[in-house]
Amino acid sequence: MNSPWPLLITLVYVAIAMLIGLRARAGRSMNSLEEWGVAGRSMGPVTLYLLIAAGSVSAYTFMGAPGWAYSKGIAVFYVAIYLAYLALVAWYFGPKVWQFGEQFGHVTQASAISDRYQSPALGALAALVMAIGSIAYAVLQTIGSAYILFVMSGGLIPIWLGVVLVLACIAVYLYASGQRAIGRTNAFQGVLMLIVAWAVGLWAVHSATGGLSFAGVFERVQAEHSEFLTLPGAGGDMSFSFWTTSIIVSMFSFMPPVWTQWMSASSARTIRRSATWLPTYYVVILPMVVVGFIGIFTLPELSRADTVVLEYAMQHLPVVLVGLLGAGTLAASMSSSEPFIHSVSLSFSKDVLQPVLKLSDAVTGKLARLLILPIMFLVIAPLAIAEPGSLVMILLVGLGFASQVLPAFIGMFFWPRASRLGVMAGIVVGFLITTALTTLWPHPMGIHAGFWGLMLNLPIFIAISLMTPATNAEVVERFFRIAAPRGLTRIGQ
Amino acid sequence: MRRLIVLPTSRAGWGLLIAFVALVMAGTWPVIGLVNRATLVLGLPLMVVWSYLVIFACVVVMLIGNRIVERDDHE
Repeated sequence: MNSPWPLLITLVYVAIAMLIGLRARAGRSMNSLEEWGVAGRSMGPVTLYLLIAAGSVSAYTFMGAPGWAYSKGIAVFYVAIYLAYLALVAWYFGPKVWQFGEQFGHVTQASAISDRYQSPALGALAALVMAIGSIAYAVLQTIGSAYILFVMSGGLIPIWLGVVLVLACIAVYLYASGQRAIGRTNAFQGVLMLIVAWAVGLWAVHSATGGLSFAGVFERVQAEHSEFLTLPGAGGDMSFSFWTTSIIVSMFSFMPPVWTQWMSASSARTIRRSATWLPTYYVVILPMVVVGFIGIFTLPELSRADTVVLEYAMQHLPVVLVGLLGAGTLAASMSSSEPFIHSVSLSFSKDVLQPVLKLSDAVTGKLARLLILPIMFLVIAPLAIAEPGSLVMILLVGLGFASQVLPAFIGMFFWPRASRLGVMAGIVVGFLITTALTTLWPHPMGIHAGFWGLMLNLPIFIAISLMTPATNAEVVERFFRIAAPRGLTRIGQ
Repeated sequence: MRRLIVLPTSRAGWGLLIAFVALVMAGTWPVIGLVNRATLVLGLPLMVVWSYLVIFACVVVMLIGNRIVERDDHE
């Protein structure tokens, strides 16, 4: 590809994102956790809708999902379904989390856990282990960003330089404007991704079939490769059990950045309104997946399935659209990595360093902003440049662990008797099982490792909770006035 | 305290809980097995059409939920 347009368009996108991110501060001081961490709890329904939507639609939508369609087929739609279920989760839990934050001053997920169980150790443990999955996720997105710059520049920007450039851009506006920058840039990126996905998808369909209907593509797949249209898919590895347990495990993985996004809303009602319409955004996945299906016929010898859209675009689409695709994919990567970097920095400062070093809130607020720099340049950048083969494994274990924190939330929203030791025991056992069944004996019987972890985690959590002292009644009452405003129900009597 | 849990306290609340569970069941096994056929509906694979039906049904259920929550005035 010799045209300078794709790189120029991609760089213009980066410049606009930086400008929006820097202006998001609007003269406010960002040294408090309330401002830098949760945007002063000020976000309206449209910003929140695009913040959550763009944050959940990562480079996976532009690269991974079409790659899955290309190599496995229809199995890729489990992602669209679980994303819609995450909206149900946000609708129910989001307003309650917002009220916890507003009334008790929480700015992170771990501080809510620490408060509910009166255990800074449990909060710190949750923050540290959640950080594993969060950092792995941010590294994967950064690799995706650098790869886009490499392709759009025709190889002029090597991966290491792409990593440094992307992280430097994010660092500038994230340091300056915190969660407000994430909100504004995600809003811009969310709109851009929707437009680019449909423009590229429809153009690709037109170039492949001569029309704008997806029917021509799927009729050919049905006639020649019908195994792509059903489970277990063309690879034969997406069984009903893996589909189902992957959805359930993903649904119950309350990742910390999502929690922070809920706490950034201007009201509980705002979260409910945003969550209600959130599933509509996931129409963004359909056109990209269709390009993956087109690739089955047009690019049968592709060595890397996740490059199917980029390869097809470079061979068949006008350069302007290739540039927009680069910008859209970069937007997807950046909008997903920013919240994870921000959340790790926020939680590490608030939930680990503050209690250990006995720091004041003012010092912790300044520290959270500064901490993004070592996290980005001493942890994420070297990992992204090295591209360790085990990274996907670390991510899978990290996300599997995220679902193992479920007992902490059961005790926060449903069961007042849950105890600190019960939660700890459940988490530790669930984590060990998930780690073993991801690395040593991957997903036995086609069931997701995180699901196996939960099946042992939950009974142990209940048993140990019943055998150990409950949290102070006053604290429990404070939480359940919000979690159950109409009172609790007695079971079994 | 050991036997106390949070459950819906009204018929509308129970209705919403049942709708949420039904939505989750609609997108997972065994229901997903019923639409696992290589047929096209309106030019799209049946699994895609079903997935988006479930996705938009989520919006409808949450819209109904909003009306219930705002009518009952419990935030």
